[in-house]
Amino acid sequence: MSDANLRHAEVAIIGAGPAGMAAASRLAEAGQRPVVFDLAPSPGGQIYRQLSAPQVGEEVMGRDYLRGRALLERFENARLDYRPGSRAWWAQREGQGTTLGVLAGGRSELWQAKRLIVAGGAMERGWPFPGWQLPGVMQAGAGQILLKQGGLVPDAPPVLVGTGPLLYLLAWQYLRAGCPPRLILDAAPRSRYAELLRRPRATWHAGHYLLKGLGMLSALRRAGVTVKHGLEAIEAEGGERLEAVRYRLGGRWQRVGASLLLTHFGVVPEPQLCRGLGLAHDWHDGQQAFVPRRDAGSLAAEPGVWLAGDGAGIGGALNAEREGHLAALAILAAEDEVVAHEAAPIHRARRRDMRARALLEALFRVPEGWLAAQPETTLVCRCEGVSLGEINAAMAQGAAGPGQLKAFTRCGMGPCQGRLCGESVTRLLAGHLGTTPEAVGTYQVRPPLQSITLGELAVSSVPPEISRSLRS
Amino acid sequence: MFKRLDKAVPVGEVTIWLENQPRRVPATLSAAAAVLWLDGSAGYRDHAAGGRRAPLCMMGVCHECLITVDGAPNRQGCLVPVAEGMRLERQRRSP
Amino acid sequence: MPRDFLIIGGGVVGMAVAYGLARRGRRVTVLDEHDGSLRASRGNAGLVWVQGKGLGMPRYAELSLQSSEAWPAFAEELTARTGVELEYERRGGVDLCFDAAEAEARQEEYCALYATTPALAAMRWAYLDREALREHLPGLGEAVHGGTFSPWDGQCNPLYLLRALYAACHSLGVDYRPASPVDGVEATASGFTAHTPKGDVAAPRVILAAGLGARRLAPPLGLCGEVHPLRGQILVTERLPQSGRLPSPQIRQTASGGYLIGDVLENAGFDTGVTLETLHQLGRRAVAVYPDLAKARLVRSWGALRVMTPDGSPVYEASRTCPGAYNLSCHSGITLAAFHAEELAEAIDSDCLASLYGDFSGARFDVQATG
Repeated sequence: MSDANLRHAEVAIIGAGPAGMAAASRLAEAGQRPVVFDLAPSPGGQIYRQLSAPQVGEEVMGRDYLRGRALLERFENARLDYRPGSRAWWAQREGQGTTLGVLAGGRSELWQAKRLIVAGGAMERGWPFPGWQLPGVMQAGAGQILLKQGGLVPDAPPVLVGTGPLLYLLAWQYLRAGCPPRLILDAAPRSRYAELLRRPRATWHAGHYLLKGLGMLSALRRAGVTVKHGLEAIEAEGGERLEAVRYRLGGRWQRVGASLLLTHFGVVPEPQLCRGLGLAHDWHDGQQAFVPRRDAGSLAAEPGVWLAGDGAGIGGALNAEREGHLAALAILAAEDEVVAHEAAPIHRARRRDMRARALLEALFRVPEGWLAAQPETTLVCRCEGVSLGEINAAMAQGAAGPGQLKAFTRCGMGPCQGRLCGESVTRLLAGHLGTTPEAVGTYQVRPPLQSITLGELAVSSVPPEISRSLRS
Repeated sequence: MFKRLDKAVPVGEVTIWLENQPRRVPATLSAAAAVLWLDGSAGYRDHAAGGRRAPLCMMGVCHECLITVDGAPNRQGCLVPVAEGMRLERQRRSP
Repeated sequence: MPRDFLIIGGGVVGMAVAYGLARRGRRVTVLDEHDGSLRASRGNAGLVWVQGKGLGMPRYAELSLQSSEAWPAFAEELTARTGVELEYERRGGVDLCFDAAEAEARQEEYCALYATTPALAAMRWAYLDREALREHLPGLGEAVHGGTFSPWDGQCNPLYLLRALYAACHSLGVDYRPASPVDGVEATASGFTAHTPKGDVAAPRVILAAGLGARRLAPPLGLCGEVHPLRGQILVTERLPQSGRLPSPQIRQTASGGYLIGDVLENAGFDTGVTLETLHQLGRRAVAVYPDLAKARLVRSWGALRVMTPDGSPVYEASRTCPGAYNLSCHSGITLAAFHAEELAEAIDSDCLASLYGDFSGARFDVQATG
């Protein structure tokens, strides 16, 4: 590859959510000029999406959304190279640096980053149940994105189902917007709240979150929204779109008409970039997800690669901002800037937060054994239409790992590249083989890490010879 | 399926062409959001293996929002902001 | 558990032979490595291909032709046994040429090869220029000069072939053991013992179908360990409408609609990664061959290691020093699967590998080395 096509970055940051914005801003304030690549057209990540031109005010969104403004302004005023609409489709460690293939405007550019901060964020967990592929079933995050992006709300009361703070936040925001949900089905049993008494210290640290949650819950109840705990099973019914939601509570099936079902079973790190870089991962029992391994102090995963924000393990927006700040400080410290005094209070705040986080994880843990209990016709891989029954059959025939299972069934071979079914496959294999998710592992992730067309590949920087050289 | 809040902050609009029909949509929306706002999720697209599909995540993960944008098939509609004159076609096997 | 054969390697070679032996009533145990181990069986392009195979060894060309002839019945039986469709078809295939020099060299090679033995005279092939090719490959781009067409060539889904072999072996009682890497095989008074981290496994006879693992496992048994990795890289696109285009080594459309783009040979040691340069090259070539693919999205890419012998032809051999030990090394496990499951399994079972397939012994490399 000729160097003419290669662009250089002292620091590249992937993601312009709270972690990426904080890291970029701090580095810029120290005189660096980081290059920030982000998928979205404007900065903010998912949490502060559209905050540069908010569509809905605090009276609907609540204070946490608007709180991001200070960070956003800092980012917008910083002297940095911000590249929205950029897809990092290729990432490879080379020596101490990282090579990135970044697609923007139909062309791929090759970047050599001396230092890389991965702040790619999280995604909603793929959580199969019968009918989850029907139009009218969406993830709760999608509902919130529509709200932030264009002030869009459901035109008929939706049903919300799952577990996790986002479920109640969205319900509360819909309530404030004047369109309360019809029903909230919480998959966490009420008995979970005993955790609060069992862990008084954590409860103290989590007080802020818990009070906020309680406030939302009571507002919803006051407004007459039905909230049911201990959901056991759910099915989306309909032909060409969602018509009704069936759910089981206390062993009894019930049915409610609905045109929109919003589901939320927690968020997990978006895996492509860290997996694509070949970073080590560990199964995090509290988060019920694989998280990339990194140094707790410096947030470095490997020399020259730092991980910040929810993409490195779920910690929320404030924690992401702190981690972005810390990653920037780690880079500055490596250049002999005196930043130790600046890092210490951030580390303390993170430690406090982590105690609260462990409690939240326990409260909102996804239900055990859910997937294996679904009917065999349930789609596990939506892209390729692979059902639970097909996966069970392939496992019975000897598919003993995620790679073999993928080969045998096409599960994970579609355009989402296994993002939505990877965890399900890990869980199913762990159950079948009587082992742990850790031991099973997950799909191998190979480029492209984001969509790219053959045409875009073809017009981008490559040596001229195209044919016979490939056989030599 | 979705409506725009009356109290939403006023925003500029653009004209997009959805199956050759001009439609005015808020300029802040993605292509996928615009279609959901205009026509809802029913009929968003047909899946190769059969059945109807519509966006699930709206954040670039699920690839259920695939749509033809300015003649290019299978774009992730949730990642493409609408633009004046943009032409969108839903991917249906047969109307 | 009493068993007749121990097969080391659960790839498409080992499983085809296991299937063949089990069909003959033999009791077989297969020891396989981990999910993430080197697996050519999961990385290949799925061609059931004859043309150009055996350029240096006419006997290999004959086997390819023979296996291609046996494939339809082989596929039919496997599907009948397991319900797994192999997406097999033999409508012919085209190996593309990008300039006149390549076209000329190709035709000279084929003319020479297919005149070597009477059996090979049955091979039908023709060089077609770009215009003539467009009948078989609609939409072919101007960058293609022409290509060699043969009606014997075909394609299958190699992953479903592997799955069908697993399913068939499972139903025939083959004892398949995943995650059981073999540290070494030892000849004993009553046969052979394979050492694995999960314990020892013994059988009167042992078959190495260990791919690149032969380098380590074969020599102690007096068998040929001369195999080296030769990397390929493959791109696959999203599903596209069926085009009817015949397969070629450079690019083929699968039954599910995606295009597989490959035909890369590179020495990269044991690195199974993909490289940015090659991805760009493959993208550029795919668009040069079929310009309408420019809008197709790339869904996956991968690298995999071919199992190459010094002359590129298979090694089939019985040990002279350790009777009852056999070694199978080849990079053509899909095309040859029908042969492996039938004639080769039979030759091993009746212990006449040396007499029937002596040409394929690894000893041929000793001769070359000393002579």
